Amino acid sequence: MKKSFLYITLFASLFLAACSALQPVDRSKVPAAGPAPIIRIGEYQTFQLENGLKVIVVENHKLPRVSYQISLDVVPGLEGSKAGFVSMAGQLLKNGTATRSKAQIDESVDFIGANLGSSSRGVSGSCLKKHSSTLLEVMSDVLLNPSFPDDEIEKLRKQTLSGLASSQTDPNTISSRISDLSKYGSSHPYGEFETESSVKTITRDDLVRYYNTYFKPNVSYLVIVGDITPEEAKTQAEKYFGGWKRGNVSENKFKMPTIPAGNEVVFVPLPGAVQSVIDITYAIDLKPGTQEAITASVLNNILGGNSFQSRLIQNLREDKAYTYGAYSSISPDETVGSFSAGASVRNEVTDSAITQFLYEMDRLTKELIHDSTLTVVKNIMTGNFARSLESPQTVANFALNIEKYQLPKDYYETYLQKLNAVTADDLMKVAQKFIKPSNAYITVVGNKDVVGKLGRFAASGKVNLYNSDGSVFSDLKPVPDGVTANTVLGNYVEALGGAAKLSSIHSFEQEGNMAMGPMVLPVNIKAKEGGKFRMSVSMNGSPVMTTVCDGNKAKMESMGQASYPEGQELTQLRMQTDIKAELHYQDYGITPTLKGIGNIDGKEYYVVELLDSEGEVMSTDYFDISTSLRYKTVVVESADGNTSVNESVIHEYLVFDGIKMPSKVTINNGAMEMNTTKVIWNPKFEDKDFIVE
Amino acid sequence: MKKTVLSLLIMGHMTQVEAQDIKFTEFDLKNGLHVILHEDHSTPIVAVTVMYHVGSKNELPGRTGMAHFFEHLLFEGSENIGRGQYSKYVENAGGGLNANTSFDRTFYYDLLPSNQLELGLWLESERMLHAKVDIKGIETQREVVKEEKRQRIDNQPYGTLLQETMSNSYKVHPYKWMPIGSMDDLNAAQEADFIDFYKTFYVPNNAVLSIAGDIDPLVTRLLIEKYFSGIPRGKEFIPRPTVVEPTHSGEARDTVWVKDQLPLVVQAYHIPAQGTPEYYAVDMLNQLLSEGGSSRLNRSVVEEKELALFCGAFSFGLEDPGLTLGFSMCNMGVDPAVVEEAMNEEFDKVKNELISDQELQKLKNQVENNFVSRNSTVAGIAESLANYHMYFGDTNLINTEISRYQAVSKQDIMNAAKKYYDKSNRVVLYFMHDPELLKQ
Repeated sequence: MKKSFLYITLFASLFLAACSALQPVDRSKVPAAGPAPIIRIGEYQTFQLENGLKVIVVENHKLPRVSYQISLDVVPGLEGSKAGFVSMAGQLLKNGTATRSKAQIDESVDFIGANLGSSSRGVSGSCLKKHSSTLLEVMSDVLLNPSFPDDEIEKLRKQTLSGLASSQTDPNTISSRISDLSKYGSSHPYGEFETESSVKTITRDDLVRYYNTYFKPNVSYLVIVGDITPEEAKTQAEKYFGGWKRGNVSENKFKMPTIPAGNEVVFVPLPGAVQSVIDITYAIDLKPGTQEAITASVLNNILGGNSFQSRLIQNLREDKAYTYGAYSSISPDETVGSFSAGASVRNEVTDSAITQFLYEMDRLTKELIHDSTLTVVKNIMTGNFARSLESPQTVANFALNIEKYQLPKDYYETYLQKLNAVTADDLMKVAQKFIKPSNAYITVVGNKDVVGKLGRFAASGKVNLYNSDGSVFSDLKPVPDGVTANTVLGNYVEALGGAAKLSSIHSFEQEGNMAMGPMVLPVNIKAKEGGKFRMSVSMNGSPVMTTVCDGNKAKMESMGQASYPEGQELTQLRMQTDIKAELHYQDYGITPTLKGIGNIDGKEYYVVELLDSEGEVMSTDYFDISTSLRYKTVVVESADGNTSVNESVIHEYLVFDGIKMPSKVTINNGAMEMNTTKVIWNPKFEDKDFIVE
Repeated sequence: MKKTVLSLLIMGHMTQVEAQDIKFTEFDLKNGLHVILHEDHSTPIVAVTVMYHVGSKNELPGRTGMAHFFEHLLFEGSENIGRGQYSKYVENAGGGLNANTSFDRTFYYDLLPSNQLELGLWLESERMLHAKVDIKGIETQREVVKEEKRQRIDNQPYGTLLQETMSNSYKVHPYKWMPIGSMDDLNAAQEADFIDFYKTFYVPNNAVLSIAGDIDPLVTRLLIEKYFSGIPRGKEFIPRPTVVEPTHSGEARDTVWVKDQLPLVVQAYHIPAQGTPEYYAVDMLNQLLSEGGSSRLNRSVVEEKELALFCGAFSFGLEDPGLTLGFSMCNMGVDPAVVEEAMNEEFDKVKNELISDQELQKLKNQVENNFVSRNSTVAGIAESLANYHMYFGDTNLINTEISRYQAVSKQDIMNAAKKYYDKSNRVVLYFMHDPELLKQ
């Protein structure tokens, strides 16, 4: 009955196809789809051994192969200063047992053409069915009797250290490390990663302790997939893993990482990079198996899922050609989930690309998703789901999730219904909860040349620079013993003419000019102790810019516009007109700190940061080691989210009556040049010369 | 009446191959398009794939990267498909799609729910008949491809490894450049170049349509006739490189300065083209040296001497004679010359001593496992079938190629080592760290 029905259907479709094949094709018409096929999820069996090991079996006889996977459902504790030992313990399981050396293990696995792997979360292997008992023999030995031989530990340590060295030039590895560190923090296991020093301190005891604490059958699953019956699976599971002893495994709990109050920009310089690896990321609290997680995955597919229709691909690749591919992910996790969106883009468009990422994120929280977009994304996700079922491993993963997260048994059977039920309103709610274009870590690994354009994305206006190992970035060399900020500044004062000589100066008048391109304007500065000064720039005999300070308040007049500098800006102005500033930094609330030795065009300089009373860096000064004189000052200013960097370089000092003064200074690579031609020490000034009206 | 026409159509010049594992049917359309069909109803999906016999080796100097660039452009649209709509049709139907380009061929695939087979055929026939590319598409994809090059090669650790190996190993054959091409050539490509390229290489008589999955072969054949039979056979001569790269012409050595920290040693040996009897011996030899933890290079250089983080030698099989790519990533502080010497010791050992029976059996077991495991997806099967037809003219090798491996003897392996792993037949490259590059 059923068979003849099939036959008729087949004949009918052949007939129709034949008719249409004989007609000329209308190529402008999109072919209609046939009746939708039924999507069937394969079956699985579960049972439990006496020692608590839960077994999942997916029977699939298409190929004469079987795979076995032991999977630990644990959350290991913090590794701290020994970061890396958890991963090392996992790798070492297959590098020696009580009765087999690594060479013997490799030989037996390779001889049957099998695969065997071990990690901190379990052991897995696969082979042809006919070799399965040989593989299981070795696999259970590796799982139950690892011996952590000292020579294998040292070999792996050497390889791990070499691997760390080689990863220093891998932008993707660096990006994932620095993103994890930023969003989870170093006091969460997800934020930890191994470094040279942590790997060097790992001992055999750490490895054995990890194994003894977490490798227990009652917190583990055995997943068997392939050419095997449930009965055979049961016999094998009992024979090879029944002797595994149960034990208590305590649960580790961690504080939920917080998201930043405003966007933070984290940059790791990678010399010679021709692209920036961008990741916009933060931690989220999203649990697997919830309806919220399904809604979030729909939202993610619209934003940056693995399809050509995603907004990120359409915007950053197909419209702007900034990148080969831009993607996002919203990952649920029992401990802590994560949002991430990123791409590799050429250096020149780094900031433009970040702007587009933030724009697309923001849009999700403000514009309701259109019905047609929702239909498309559901079609895409239904198709992905259906295609994933080709692999029997998918069914095994479904079964594992149902067990691990205690989902309803029909969770995946009804997955497509749950997907179809998602509405635009649901998406808006989830977007507002999980899409945070103003509370993200924006991490960039790339060429140092691009860093200047990134400050504007940070709420603070500042970019946090890190090295690839997560330490704060510095390209400075350490200073020799005995050299401090005070000795550097003392030598500088000495080079200018000496503290005694400078202390004898109570007022001065300085004349010179300011050049901007072809325009040269005379400058006159009058200054008196107590922070009093008058600075004027004139054109054709009349002043075009005047700044006056009476010691407390200041006024700046330029082209008829008045402004009143205060705070850090005023302090800067006062210090610039105080030739004895270095002798009394404390009066300005400034603490100088020596950062190290920097290198500019092959010459070495002491680098001194001036910190204000709040510990913020006000400016960075470079003192020439050979002459002790100041060479360069860099001031980073941020206001309203915009950052500007002002750099002044002193090219020449002239001696005026025994005191050196900068006589030629260029600002911002020659955009402006200041020259001093004449200085008079201790002229007589009245206080009324410095009245601020 | 209709039934007679039907059976005539179906019987045509179709041949049924009774294969051991993977069953398939294959036939040619009048325009020269070769079609391969594989039926498998375990999942309601179908892979519709087209392989064009054109890769980077068909490019001309000054236009390197053309085949791959063009692959990007063929997603732009056609006479009946608007710009950017190609992927929409597939994805809205619940399908996935992509393509890739190698030295020898370009491969397009659509993975669809099986009720959308006709959509896949329509899309692929549009691409073959009258693809359309506008200037906005060219300029956008030019930048996208340049980003792909930066992302995959220029900005990756040791990203130029293959490029340097190929350009040092090939002096006359077009394998000397990579499918991604050079930045200059990518910048220089013009609309007219693409039109020529399309007319010459994107013709039915230079393509294989391979379909695998939940299909009825008879219905599928009719639909293929409907969409593909009207595509005219190509009129242009299809040029293929005839130049032969000289081998055994003396050892070439060079040092490549990179910013990466660990020294990397490359030894590349010229080997015969894929599919030749000696190729199978070389491939088994490389398996002996590199497959699994017990393989000779790993055991000696990585495990026992602890000189390297990784050491192996792999067959880079190509349509024209390819290479064995041997390489070691040295452990920190290890002299690459010492590592190279350790590699040489293992190569010499195979030349001087027959491998043991136990080792030969291991290699055969590994081959068997690999053959069973690789046909696990319909997309993979469709691609393998197309490969075997395109490169060897024998689609059934998907089932029988294993016997070519099983026929390799211990003596064949020794002979292959002696003949090909000779100093005069290799290029040796050291990738060395240059601290100056970190100061940029």
